[in-house]
Amino acid sequence: MTRIRQGLLLAVWIAALGVLGWAVDRNLVVGSDLRLFMPSPRTPQERLLLEEIGEGPASRMLLLTISGADPESAATTSRALVAALRKSEEFRWVTNGESSLDEIPDRLLAYRYLLSPTLDLAAYDESFLRAQLDERLRDLASPAAGLLETWLPRDPTLELLKLAESWQPQIQPQLLFDVWFDSAGHHALLVAETRAPGFDPQGQRTAADTLQQAFASVRTAPDLTLEASGPGAFSVLMQERTQGEAQRLGSLAAAGMVILLLVAYRSVPVLVLGLLPLVSAGLAGLAVVSAVFGTVHGITLAFGFTLIGVAQDYPMHLFSHQRYGLDPRDNVRALWPTLATGVASTCVAYVAFLFSGVRGLAQLSVFTVAGLAVAGLTTRYLLPPLVPARGRDAAESELLGRLWQRIAGLPRPLWLGVTVAMLCVGLLWLSPRPLWQDELGGLTPVPRVLIEKDTALRRELGAPDVRYLLVIQGRDDQAVLAHAAGLDPQLSVLVAERALEGFDHAARYLPTRARQEHRRAALPDPEVLRKSLDAAMRQMPFRSGVFASFLEDVERARQLPSLGPQDLAGTPLEARVDSLLFEQDGHWTGLVTMTGLKNPAALAHLVNDGTGITLLDLKQASEDLVAHQRERILWCLAGAAVLLALVVYVALRDAARVRRVLAPMALTTLVVLALLHVAGVSLSLFHLIALVLAAGLGLDYALFFERAADDPAEQRRTLHAVLVCSLSTLMVFALLALSTLPVLKAIGLTVAAGVVCNFVLALLLTRPSGTSSDGR
Amino acid sequence: MRLATVTLTLTTVTLHAADLDATALLARLTRPPPDTTAFVEVRYSALLDRPIAVSGQLEHLEDGALVRRVEVPYRETMELRGENVLVDRAGSKPRSFSLDRAPELRGMLSSFGSLLKGDRKSLERYFVMTVLGSDARWRIELIPRDEKLKRRLDTIVVDGSLDRPRCFTLNEPDGDASVMALGVQGPTELPQPLERASLAAWCSGDTGH
Repeated sequence: MTRIRQGLLLAVWIAALGVLGWAVDRNLVVGSDLRLFMPSPRTPQERLLLEEIGEGPASRMLLLTISGADPESAATTSRALVAALRKSEEFRWVTNGESSLDEIPDRLLAYRYLLSPTLDLAAYDESFLRAQLDERLRDLASPAAGLLETWLPRDPTLELLKLAESWQPQIQPQLLFDVWFDSAGHHALLVAETRAPGFDPQGQRTAADTLQQAFASVRTAPDLTLEASGPGAFSVLMQERTQGEAQRLGSLAAAGMVILLLVAYRSVPVLVLGLLPLVSAGLAGLAVVSAVFGTVHGITLAFGFTLIGVAQDYPMHLFSHQRYGLDPRDNVRALWPTLATGVASTCVAYVAFLFSGVRGLAQLSVFTVAGLAVAGLTTRYLLPPLVPARGRDAAESELLGRLWQRIAGLPRPLWLGVTVAMLCVGLLWLSPRPLWQDELGGLTPVPRVLIEKDTALRRELGAPDVRYLLVIQGRDDQAVLAHAAGLDPQLSVLVAERALEGFDHAARYLPTRARQEHRRAALPDPEVLRKSLDAAMRQMPFRSGVFASFLEDVERARQLPSLGPQDLAGTPLEARVDSLLFEQDGHWTGLVTMTGLKNPAALAHLVNDGTGITLLDLKQASEDLVAHQRERILWCLAGAAVLLALVVYVALRDAARVRRVLAPMALTTLVVLALLHVAGVSLSLFHLIALVLAAGLGLDYALFFERAADDPAEQRRTLHAVLVCSLSTLMVFALLALSTLPVLKAIGLTVAAGVVCNFVLALLLTRPSGTSSDGR
Repeated sequence: MRLATVTLTLTTVTLHAADLDATALLARLTRPPPDTTAFVEVRYSALLDRPIAVSGQLEHLEDGALVRRVEVPYRETMELRGENVLVDRAGSKPRSFSLDRAPELRGMLSSFGSLLKGDRKSLERYFVMTVLGSDARWRIELIPRDEKLKRRLDTIVVDGSLDRPRCFTLNEPDGDASVMALGVQGPTELPQPLERASLAAWCSGDTGH
């Protein structure tokens, strides 16, 4: 091939990559909902669980602390921050414990008579009004008179105040300067609910920015700082840290890779050419995934590029076997059966992930299969014409020759392989420690310090238990509200018995329509009320006619239609009721959240007595879900292993050869599993993906070693290729293993251990017995 | 050295000649805790066609807390500790609120506390102070400096004679007012009926005593 045609081909290839890259960049939507990597729900309860995890109030809740200066400026800032955030689009609601009457919009003011429980217990008759007015006189004579005076003509029974107080959480932190503070009195505490779901790092990022901007603009002392805790804040933090660290380690790895390739091939063009199949693979994978799924998850991208790292090995086999006088096209033709077997079997194995039931893994599977296929095909058809026909013959290397002889001289203890395998299986089988990480949180690990801080903060704030929830199902909103309200007496008994510190449900804010209508009917008509009021005011110093606006409000309340969940839009109650009462698949669900639940068994009789009430243990349910997901993934992997063995068998057509090729990677998988377990690591999805990658690498090493079995020169070239491949992979993943982030560390450790083990075992086990004539 | 001190003292005297009265007066008013005084508080409100009066004891505790104990016509205790006010009324559960919510209350209490301690600095931080009258019959007028407080509180007037404050009057911008007469056991010791003008006259010492 002439230089001109070579140049042309290279230009066309790079141009094609440019166009593909541009198209991908234009159409690529990177999603970030971590639930894509969580199992798909099977039962309504699991669906509710995933909803709660991603969208529920607990996931949207941010716990805020303001600290760093004197409590008074922290309190002032807390108040100003609440005012600022209430105006922002990013937050559904925010509170610092201050019960402000201004929170209630004017059009709802008359509703206080339908929402407050006063009318359930008393009638608005003369004696009730007299007792109330008597109290008000005392209020007026107290130093707090100024607080109430403006409200009294309109609301002499202080119904509004009672409502505002009843809407406060049952368990509250201490109030200093009227806002929540921690028990030491140093930090002002607030609770905010974001509009974005907790596991939407982008939405949470925006919310976090808004939060800090609002804080910076209202801060009353320069020393004050604002900290946010909660699932949303964590997802922002983890995304930042993962991205940052992956980038840092990635650049280090890239630099190391360049040095390694330059040492191995001593040629800059080869270095550049070696990248082309990998880049093609990445872009093709992205294009296919975004065509099939519409969006690509951020994790798919990260994992995908990790997994197609195998593709980096393909051109290296070509380069290591290249020597002076050999047409690279002949070279690749000779290598192709082995390379194709590796590509095909790995691809077939990844297809198994399509059936894992996890959408993220299905994306990953499509990405990897497309990527690897493209990398294999470009290495076969596009790369060879570009490779210089010169090149050092790796077979001439004295060093490699000696090394190979050394290796050939090693004993081949087949019995040792069997023993190690049995030892590993026995160890994994007999160990009392669970092999798997069942917590859903294991998928998105957050540093322990932050979790502990969050837990302490939740305790201070009396925030609802994140583990247990009572779930009420009903055919409509009213049935659910009635059910929730019906639980009050029993729950109050539990609170009195100290089995529970507090509870919350939608009926605390929004009584049933029937209840509201009952109260409305209990309101006296204007004439009767006026007479009772006049009688009550006799002998009292109140100016006559001073309560005219009270009479008007009661009369207005008598004409009001009852409030339903839909009528709350735009009110401070909307967010609170929405998160506790919602429609799902045509029926309504109500949640009862609990604070300080000591003994979940105490709730058992509530659940048994009532129909349509279940106790949801989010921890148990999520662990079940994860275990179920894992079972399914393991079945997929088993299927993948069978398919892979089948492809290898079809390619090699010799049971002994197939055994020699598959033994190293099978044994490696066992050894790495046992090593991780002994090291105290609980296995998660990340480890499984890493193990699959390691197995794919091991298969390639074994295939090439097996191919080179009889020819000393080929043996050295193969040794060169596999050394370069495994060293580069080892370097990249050993760097990842240094990461402080559990995800990166898990993948790094597993793959690094797998590479070493695969390399050693491939060398020891894949030479056909007795035929390694060289050196004997 | 001695000369310098004398000069300094002279300068200070010259500069504050007009206010010397106030400093001395405040010093005389200082009461070390614990201290208990009987009081009658009369409240004038636009909501009421006649004033209401309660009587009880005011206590200044050793830990600095102020307690207002109403005894007649009902029992109620209000305790101020730091920034928190705790109100405990017979027949209902105790409530607490922060002084931030009631600026006029903070104004009254901080001025009251400063007077008890003779702390002129703190008084002048929150109020513009004017002192009128003589040692025998004096009046301290306090006008808040803070705009927010001004909206809720017009003036605080403290009337007294010699080393005893007699009345503590809070005038609100809307015309409402409350008058606390100190060292008085019950409303019967005050001019009847409890007209605002006659009570003001009593406070400034025009009648009685």
